[in-house]
Amino acid sequence: MSAPLCHDRRRLLQAFGGAALAAVAPPRAQAQTPDNTLNVLTAYPDEVVTRFVAAFGAAYPQYRLNMVWRMPHEALPYLQAPDQNGIDVYWSASPRTFAQIKAAQGWQVLPETLRSLPPRIGGCQLSDPQGYFVATEMAAYGFALNRARLRQRQLQAPSDWPELCDARYAGLIAMPDPARVGFAPVMLDIVLQAYGWQRGWALWQEIAGNAQLIGRGGSFVSDSVGTQGEAAVGLSIDFFVASAMANGADLDFIYPRHSGVNPGQVAVTASTPHREAALAFVGFLLSETGQALLLHPDLRKLPVRPSVYRQAPRGSFNPYLAAQAGGLDYDSTRTQARLGLLAALCEPCLSQPHAPLQALWRRIHAGEARGLKLAAARRELCRMPIDEAQAAELAPREYARRLEAQSESAPRAIEAQWSAFAAAQREQVARLLSAAGA
Amino acid sequence: MPRFCLLLLLLCAQRVLAAEDREAFNHPLPDLSAGQQVQFFEGRTLMHQSWIVAPSQDTQHDGLGPLYNQLACSSCHPKNGRGRTPDRRDERLQSALLRLSLPGPAGAAPRPHPAYGEQLNEQGIPGVPGEGSVFIDWQMQSLSLDDGQRLTLRRPRLRIVALAYGPLQGALTSLRVGPTLIGMGLLDAVSDETLHAMAAEPKPDGVRGRVNQLRGEDGQLRLGRFGLKANAPNLRQQIANAMLGDLGISSSLHPQQNCRPAQRACRAAPTGGEPELSEAQLDALTRYLALLQVPPARAATPATRHGAQLFMRLGCALCHRPQLRSGAQALAPQLAGQDFAPYSDLLLHDMGESLADHRPDYEAGGRDWRTAPLWGIGRIKAINEHSQFLHDGRARDLQEAILWHGGEAQTAQRRYRALSAQDREALLDFLRSL
Ligand code: HEC
Ligand code: HEC
Repeated sequence: MSAPLCHDRRRLLQAFGGAALAAVAPPRAQAQTPDNTLNVLTAYPDEVVTRFVAAFGAAYPQYRLNMVWRMPHEALPYLQAPDQNGIDVYWSASPRTFAQIKAAQGWQVLPETLRSLPPRIGGCQLSDPQGYFVATEMAAYGFALNRARLRQRQLQAPSDWPELCDARYAGLIAMPDPARVGFAPVMLDIVLQAYGWQRGWALWQEIAGNAQLIGRGGSFVSDSVGTQGEAAVGLSIDFFVASAMANGADLDFIYPRHSGVNPGQVAVTASTPHREAALAFVGFLLSETGQALLLHPDLRKLPVRPSVYRQAPRGSFNPYLAAQAGGLDYDSTRTQARLGLLAALCEPCLSQPHAPLQALWRRIHAGEARGLKLAAARRELCRMPIDEAQAAELAPREYARRLEAQSESAPRAIEAQWSAFAAAQREQVARLLSAAGA
Repeated sequence: MPRFCLLLLLLCAQRVLAAEDREAFNHPLPDLSAGQQVQFFEGRTLMHQSWIVAPSQDTQHDGLGPLYNQLACSSCHPKNGRGRTPDRRDERLQSALLRLSLPGPAGAAPRPHPAYGEQLNEQGIPGVPGEGSVFIDWQMQSLSLDDGQRLTLRRPRLRIVALAYGPLQGALTSLRVGPTLIGMGLLDAVSDETLHAMAAEPKPDGVRGRVNQLRGEDGQLRLGRFGLKANAPNLRQQIANAMLGDLGISSSLHPQQNCRPAQRACRAAPTGGEPELSEAQLDALTRYLALLQVPPARAATPATRHGAQLFMRLGCALCHRPQLRSGAQALAPQLAGQDFAPYSDLLLHDMGESLADHRPDYEAGGRDWRTAPLWGIGRIKAINEHSQFLHDGRARDLQEAILWHGGEAQTAQRRYRALSAQDREALLDFLRSL
């Protein structure tokens, strides 16, 4: 998935503004790079990058790190250019990019010594079975809570996704716009895997009906749940919120019964002339020192090295224990190919018509509160234009290259069909509701 | 002493805030309009944006370099707080930079070095060699306070290596650390009249204070407010300077790339648009910094109250003014006509030989520095995880910062040295409460 980074969101909106650019090979990049320089391509935000650059520099002063920043959806063309644009290491939270570049033979196998950490957690494959890339950190999904606001409304903290459909949460949920926020499609998919395609989408439709969508204009889910916003529950990847909390925000974060992990990974390019330095960097990321950096209040990513949890602040989430208890069953590779499609599907079905959807859900909830039977309208509103099998067929064909939250210049023909489907569906629901007196 | 009363008033009005709020420099003013909120969030994203080598599909954020120091504004102003200088001799600069120039006519803009310009850009995009690297050797010296306590201070010696475009020959250098970025909108709104009036006020202890008058190429005179030598007239200009100088991003105010004539690879590199930064982006970033809230000082205790009195008595407040008033012209209505407590007069002061960088900048001489605002200084340790101070980060704590004061601040510094240990601690407590 596209890096779940807070500062990406603006950019996600604007990506692919024009024709795709071929990655341009700079004039003999390699020849000009002093030999102790290691070029690392990354999409991690500045807070992560500067901290690791400083710590690696202290541990290995003989090497000079040069960070090259690019969004995951640009990594593939960039690393397919002649001499891989001089990049030695790729380091990002974008499993699909790692898989795609592996398929394009862009990586070299890492030595066994760098492959000793757990390769899986719960349902998630952390590291490549053939050893082309390894995980360096993880993030999991859950609910940011503003306890005071929940108390004001006399609401319990939700413990799993279906509870968020409750009409009493209307307006109190902040949800990342799946069509625009990089970390959101995996979150969608967690629910789809746990509850099945049909019920899963029904949940998302109703949750979205209760929610405000976050994704435009650079505000975060944690803003909405925090003092500046109005939400009581924010659906989020954990580190945004954990970091805000570690920095003093009066929030809480809980992991629902069904959660999953998205790993950040690292790989060494096939063409690097700096193998030794590249392996030193990978080794540093995986070392006790490198892993402990992840615990810093400004990062709060989950280490992959289990022993590092001993250094974590008391009460910290330990995903290895959570996985044993069955809370991280999401299989990140099984449905990896459909993540781009999920984002695309959300645009016409959920994001773009969000306001009319909210209005319909309000009518349904209000009608049901009056004792009306609105099962037909509910059923209609929860239908999706394609089923799971169609999605599985379409995704690799049409959306293989589309990373989550990457918008394209023009909607495809099929997306126009989805849009028409959703519009007709809304009209039908409105008719049904009127007929039922709601 | 009316100023003293005001200070006490300020102290009493202050709200208590959770000690651990490491986001204290990131909060917006409480009453933003919807439009301001949009710009605030956009500007916040830009402040943290890692810029991309052009060309990129992300046409809004490409154009890094060709020569640059860091990928993002926040690299040098972490959490809108202070950067630091390397403590170790093999550590590279992370959140500091080296200004360069050649000696030039007095009162004029710094004369760029022909091969390197006004700043050493340590990094280059692929294919463009970075200009060189700066390392620091610390020279230790000792001194004693009047009560006999012995201390060591450290002074940086620069080691500039791997110069890619020839020798620096005769260049004037100035090492500087990224300063805290709170209250920028208020400083921007201090009027020319106020600056002139403060400069004209007679002051005791040999303290003077001058405005930096910046004569532009158009012959127009503007007063400096931003930068450690007050060499930028307003926030927008300062941000455009940073965009070009630190990240290599061109804007309407600096339409050219930051390449010197002889830097051929730099000049041949693709750009990310002309200019690379849109007006809307420059506006959003300006509004973002302008609309950041200045966190309140901590609640006064008997010790900090005593420290505040000492701050006045020692003459610190002659430069570090506890009260300023913004003018009618401001970047946002909330910022106009406000009383605020930056603990600075924004004026230049001769700080003596030991702090001198010998690099003049318009009317700021080689020994002059703009009074560093002290608001928020007590939070640096929690927010930035270090306690380095002064323009080049040489002071390792607040006391060392005071002990380096010379020139116009010599009298205040001597008085500090003569304090009892208890009084010194009270004064430092007061600073830590800001
Ligand atoms: C390489 C480190 C570095 C980077 C990157 C950097 N700055 Fe700075 N910043 C500094 C230093 C050093 C100063 C003091 C400048 C001087 O005295 O000339 C400064 C000063 C400032 C000031 C004036 C503060 C004052 O009190 O007068 C502002 C505002 C500012 N920077 C904003 C930015 C913005 C916006 C960006 C991104 C476009 C940025 N900076 C990028 C190091 C940096
Ligand atoms: C003559 C004006 C003047 C007086 C008097 C003065 N200062 Fe300063 N102060 C400055 C200037 C200018 C700087 C910035 C110097 C530099 O960066 O090299 C500064 C810097 C500082 C700093 C470091 C701030 C930072 O962000 O790095 C502290 C702390 C400080 N002063 C405290 C005091 C105290 C306490 C006193 C009284 C004992 C005092 N000053 C008296 C002008 C003055």
